[in-house]
Amino acid sequence: MSEKELVRQAQAGDFAAFSQLVDTYKSRVYGLALRMTGNEQDAQDIVQETLIKAIDNIESFRGESLFGTWLYAIALNQSRAFVSKQKQASLKSIEEYLPAKSAEHMHDAEAPVTLFDWKDPHQLLEQRELRQIIDEAIASLPEKYRVAFLLRYHEELSIKEVAKVIGETVASAKSRVLRARLALRDRLSRIFEDRYGKELQGLR
Amino acid sequence: MGKSCKDYVSELNDFIDGELDPELCREIEKHIGKCENCRIMVDTMRQTVELCREGARESLPPALEARLSGLLKAHWDRKFGSKKD
Repeated sequence: MSEKELVRQAQAGDFAAFSQLVDTYKSRVYGLALRMTGNEQDAQDIVQETLIKAIDNIESFRGESLFGTWLYAIALNQSRAFVSKQKQASLKSIEEYLPAKSAEHMHDAEAPVTLFDWKDPHQLLEQRELRQIIDEAIASLPEKYRVAFLLRYHEELSIKEVAKVIGETVASAKSRVLRARLALRDRLSRIFEDRYGKELQGLR
Repeated sequence: MGKSCKDYVSELNDFIDGELDPELCREIEKHIGKCENCRIMVDTMRQTVELCREGARESLPPALEARLSGLLKAHWDRKFGSKKD
């Protein structure tokens, strides 16, 4: 049965249709909430509240987006209460994530700053430690960037769907996803460079 | 003097995710062939997302799953009545 048909039946009061709709998304909403809050109990509460709100408001879903998009938007509203306000800071501008102070002079001999090449970090770090580094790096992103990044690459939404969930223009969603990715890359790069450096010292 | 790395950076997500128009895509590929910084940038940006995706699928904790099934049905019935079952 198509999603549209399930929505129509759920709106007419069919619980089985509603269950089938949310089954596809509830573990994903949990994963998103877990990365938003970093806390399992909070994530569970968010899933529960999201699904209750979805029941309360099922008639107001007009099918202009995917059902999942609508559900994620509810989940994000719910998770706002759990996310600390101090993480609302902004990130650097896109150009500032390039190497050297002035990006225009990257090819000049005076500015021979080369990016650090990670190669494959799995060679250096155990899976569990790597996972922890990644989770901490994601958690360190300011909320609005973290949300955009997770929706795009964890929930695999298109940029258009991301924009709908966060209530921003496509251009703004794009910019947040890019800055989040650049900031994460930057942070991981620093951590890996430090680790590779220690590894090399140990070899001496 | 052609474009600099700065001109490409805002397109890198679309480039890596395969969503850039083919002409600009070829232009960036050509640039990456000559520019070590951009090659590393693209490679590490790609890895950033791959690393975040690894092991990223959670399943619902069984306790929550158990709690939800009763709770949601009860909430549903309060709203719609149990006429449809």
